[in-house]
Amino acid sequence: MSEALLAVEGLRVAFATEGGTVRAVDGVSFELAAGEVLAIVGESGSGKSATAQAILGLNRSPNARIEGSARLGEVELIGASEEQLREVRGARVAMVFQDPMTSFNPVYRVGDQIAEAIRAHRPQVGRAEARRRAAELLGSVGIPDAERRAAAYPHEFSGGMRQRAMIAMALALDPEVLIADEPTTALDVTIQAQILELLAHLNRERNLATILITHDLGVVAEVADRVLVMHEGRIVERGTLEQVFYSPRDPYTRKLLDAVVRLDQAPPLRPPRAPEPLLELTDLVKHFPLRRGLLFEREVDRVRAVDGVSLTVNHGETLGLVGESGCGKTTLSRTALGLLEPTSGSVRFEGREIAGLSRREMRPLRREMQIVFQDPFASLNPRKRIGQIVGEPLRLQGVAKGGELRGQVRELLGRVGLRPEHYDRFPHEFSGGQRQRIGIARALALRPKLVVADEPVSALDVSIRAQILELLAELQEELGLTYVFVAHDIGVVRHVSDRIAVMHGGKIVEQGPADEVCERPRDPYTRELLAAVPIPDPREARARRQTVGSD
Amino acid sequence: MPPEPNAANGPAGAGPWRLAWRRLRRNRVALGFGALFVLIVAFSLAAPLWADHVAHTGPNATHTLQKVEVDGERREVVDREGRPLGPLWLGAGGEFFLGADGRLGRDEMVRLMYGGRTSLLVGFASAAITTVLATILALFAGYYRGLTDTVISRTLDVVWAFPVVLLSIALGVTLAVGGLDIGPLHLSGGSLWIPILIIGGVMVPYMARPIRGEVLSLREKEFVEAAEAQGAGPLRVMFVELLPNLASTIIVFFTLNIANNMLLEATLSFLGVGVQAPATSWGTMIGSGFELITSAPLLTFAPGTMILLTVLSVNVFGDGLRDALDPRARLRLEAHAGIPAGELLDPVEGGEGSGA
Amino acid sequence: MARFVVRRLVGMVAVLFAVSVLTFLIFNVVPGSDPAVRMAGKNATPRLIESITEEWGFDESLPQQYLKMMEKVFSGDLISYEGRENVDERIVEGIPATVSLCIGAAVLWMFFGLLFGYLSAVRAGGWLDRGLTVFAVAGISMPTFLLAALFLNYLTYKAEIFPSSGYVGLTENPLEWAEHLILPWMTLAILNIGFYSRVLRSNMLDAMGEDYVRTARAKGLSERRVMTRHVTRNSLIPIVTLFGLDFGALLGGAIVIEGIFDVEGVGLYAYEALKNFDLPPIMAIVLFGAFFVVLFNALVDIAYAWLDPRIRLGSSAR
Repeated sequence: MSEALLAVEGLRVAFATEGGTVRAVDGVSFELAAGEVLAIVGESGSGKSATAQAILGLNRSPNARIEGSARLGEVELIGASEEQLREVRGARVAMVFQDPMTSFNPVYRVGDQIAEAIRAHRPQVGRAEARRRAAELLGSVGIPDAERRAAAYPHEFSGGMRQRAMIAMALALDPEVLIADEPTTALDVTIQAQILELLAHLNRERNLATILITHDLGVVAEVADRVLVMHEGRIVERGTLEQVFYSPRDPYTRKLLDAVVRLDQAPPLRPPRAPEPLLELTDLVKHFPLRRGLLFEREVDRVRAVDGVSLTVNHGETLGLVGESGCGKTTLSRTALGLLEPTSGSVRFEGREIAGLSRREMRPLRREMQIVFQDPFASLNPRKRIGQIVGEPLRLQGVAKGGELRGQVRELLGRVGLRPEHYDRFPHEFSGGQRQRIGIARALALRPKLVVADEPVSALDVSIRAQILELLAELQEELGLTYVFVAHDIGVVRHVSDRIAVMHGGKIVEQGPADEVCERPRDPYTRELLAAVPIPDPREARARRQTVGSD
Repeated sequence: MPPEPNAANGPAGAGPWRLAWRRLRRNRVALGFGALFVLIVAFSLAAPLWADHVAHTGPNATHTLQKVEVDGERREVVDREGRPLGPLWLGAGGEFFLGADGRLGRDEMVRLMYGGRTSLLVGFASAAITTVLATILALFAGYYRGLTDTVISRTLDVVWAFPVVLLSIALGVTLAVGGLDIGPLHLSGGSLWIPILIIGGVMVPYMARPIRGEVLSLREKEFVEAAEAQGAGPLRVMFVELLPNLASTIIVFFTLNIANNMLLEATLSFLGVGVQAPATSWGTMIGSGFELITSAPLLTFAPGTMILLTVLSVNVFGDGLRDALDPRARLRLEAHAGIPAGELLDPVEGGEGSGA
Repeated sequence: MARFVVRRLVGMVAVLFAVSVLTFLIFNVVPGSDPAVRMAGKNATPRLIESITEEWGFDESLPQQYLKMMEKVFSGDLISYEGRENVDERIVEGIPATVSLCIGAAVLWMFFGLLFGYLSAVRAGGWLDRGLTVFAVAGISMPTFLLAALFLNYLTYKAEIFPSSGYVGLTENPLEWAEHLILPWMTLAILNIGFYSRVLRSNMLDAMGEDYVRTARAKGLSERRVMTRHVTRNSLIPIVTLFGLDFGALLGGAIVIEGIFDVEGVGLYAYEALKNFDLPPIMAIVLFGAFFVVLFNALVDIAYAWLDPRIRLGSSAR
């Protein structure tokens, strides 16, 4: 049996906060063998990041208590002096964080920041030599034109390139262990696939032991050898990839696996309907002018957010709108709802042209179409009670007031799974999933015909997502709603949609029935998108890699 | 469908205001200074009482040729060389408690209290004007953006480009003597409204810019979009959705603005272009007391110290207020402060969980 | 960057124009009384008032008045009727003293302000931090004349450590130059020392929580390097802009300080002119002062843009 490279035993991390003591990590033990990829999976608050940071002593502070042991070979890391830790950080154990934009210092060149890492551990290396090494490293992680890129600043890189640069910096001193904390969460799906490939490649080529921390089971299935499942600060399941995915023992793990919505899973059967258009977009264009000028700004260029989109949404169906960040889907949904003035083109709701209507004319129409937003934290006014928030549309539109309004709001709260007594609470008292329910209640208050759900579950934990999607489906049945479901995750979209439209660069590149688009995609971008989505099933993932590998 | 377990299933928690209040209550230092401020206000408001019942004189009544009975002795209020009486404390039953203020022989204590009233009034009123104007301008500029924002911001920029003191001096010198006469507005030169309006107006850009910045970032939040999607008009969005979220910033700025404005008023009055006679403020008192700095330093130090204490207490309380309303700042301090972590690992009580 | 500079300079010219118009409006248009009377001062004869009206064009249209005013102020032809002297000349005479005062004070407050701020942040929450915070808050709350009075009274008059007034040119006698200016420097600086130490402290505490600081630590950099290269460097950048604002505001403070300490600079001139309600010098000083501030701020903005690569290079994510 090979000796473990890193052995963690009884790790405990607790923080003192305003609300009391928080036990982030509550007795975690595991081993990392040389050359393996160990995935630590958990939802937010499970303690996975705290564990990783504790290993390198990055979350030490006066109001934190860290106990237990983490041995890297002969060195005990927990409780080690700053001197000792510094020798380990970067040189033997390197870490890559979630957000590459904020993880680089914006005022220094990328190459210099990498060189800094090198010289911190090898002071005998000269500046010029270190810079050369930095450029080399950038090249080795697949950044083209590395010499020139090394002299650039972080903001001049795209998201994916930045993350590669971060990885390059982590490799600078040839560490034994790489800890990657949600390395792809902030990236688009297609870029995510590339980064995961890079990590897998590095693992194989350099025999680099890797701890991969993530909440995404799909990511785990793609790259991990062994898996640890964490929940509320403890490890509830451990085993090889196959063991954990196919024969989980812990109920939480099982719940997690069940909740994961899979791309290749057959979605629930939806009754066929005769198409009857509710919303029709024809050649819709929305450009944002870029103004530059000395005194009086003139338009020099435009951002073509929506560049000629024609789409139909039929009564009672769910249209899935899929695209990565920057493709224009948010702009499209806002323009379709009359919240933005289109540059040109037509928007017809129930046959009536709404593009170009004045605010007053639009007002009564607002009752027919509503939005459910993505961010459960930013979509509710933190200064208002939720009863007020949900009742606001009713008040604004003059539908009800006083006791009758309160009654309707209570009913809505009940319908989305909250208790009527929650009327007087503030948003911060609720969890993310509950806040989304509040947002849904608000959207339904006016009994709209059309609801645009803009990434309604992206910000939620995996186990909660399924609940919210179920709620949305139930409400659609009950109230005869029509949905436009906007998301970047095509797996989720497939699960809920009748028809799917794929958006890229302001245009719809493919649309059609969900099954067809997902199984027989015609557009190359759609195919790229589908290929990049991680499949939370190790065998399937391997199979796909093998077929794709021959491309 | 069972709701997720969390605090919302227990008894109703506190709203953001109540939480802030609780935090403020724990801040002894801030509360202490807040109390000091209240004392100073009380002191100043008591001016008429003191003047009528203790000192038996007014803030502008001169007593140059008079004499005062102290411990059986009769002393001149202002002696032949023009030197004023020093502090008698309670020697004459409270009259000339702090002595006389120079050749005019006025009761310094009475003037100090009346001066306080003026200074505080000017400070508060101008801060109120600044706050209201700045908030409205910032809301409109930040919400509408585009042309409205450009016009408002450029105008503010011009005012802002002037150093505050220079601009106030310019306005003071031209308005303080002749008064203001625009349309329906007629203010005589000695009116307190002139320094109030000048100071209030001059400080507007300093408050409007940061508030506008906040409006710009709040505006992007989804709850604003939600309101618009429900048919809310601009005014409703600005005042019902955005304003409550700006309230903490505004409150803190208002408080700190009072302190700044009082200092500015003192400077202007000292230079002669702020509060005008016959009104008294601490600034004018320092201005006139300065001539006698060597022989009667109290005439300068008394009003000066009052200004210092008032501004200090407002600043410290304002700081405490800011910490209470924006706990992120506080947590940072706590994270580095030496709270022994060992004390903290007791049975978890009311932990809010560690994440969304 | 070049585009930014040009834009900023053009903007600056526009602001200068607006500032001059505003000054004009304040002095000549806003008040209700006859501007010629106000300008003539206390010893006004009807003939003087008449000649002023003609010279300044008070009987002409507003734009013409504006042009006349600008011409008078900038051509060196401005006369103070009250004091019977050439205003512009007197201002120029006073510049060395005022510049010495302002720059000396600025050096003092930047040095101590940033030092205290750095120490406070590095030992945040400790006794040093608390002590410095108290000092800072007191400094911010202190009215300048109170401090000046304290200094004057105890250090100058009673203890006679420092000379009470006057200004000695740097080139004449550096030691005396400093001696005469020490108290004014300290008085002017104290307020800003407090303010800057808190701003730097706050910026640094913010920076310490940033992701890139965590990365720096994770790379294995020493704490000292993390502090200097990452935390401090990023925290100093916003201070550059602040400095621009405050240096301009110094002019206002200089009026009070020069008046109290009798330093023969531009501020003293303004102080005396205010006492006498002598308008031409006040107008000129306000205008020049504002112009200087606008110029200085434009330079500061350009310096700031150069320091922050995101602005210098423009955002161009590829």
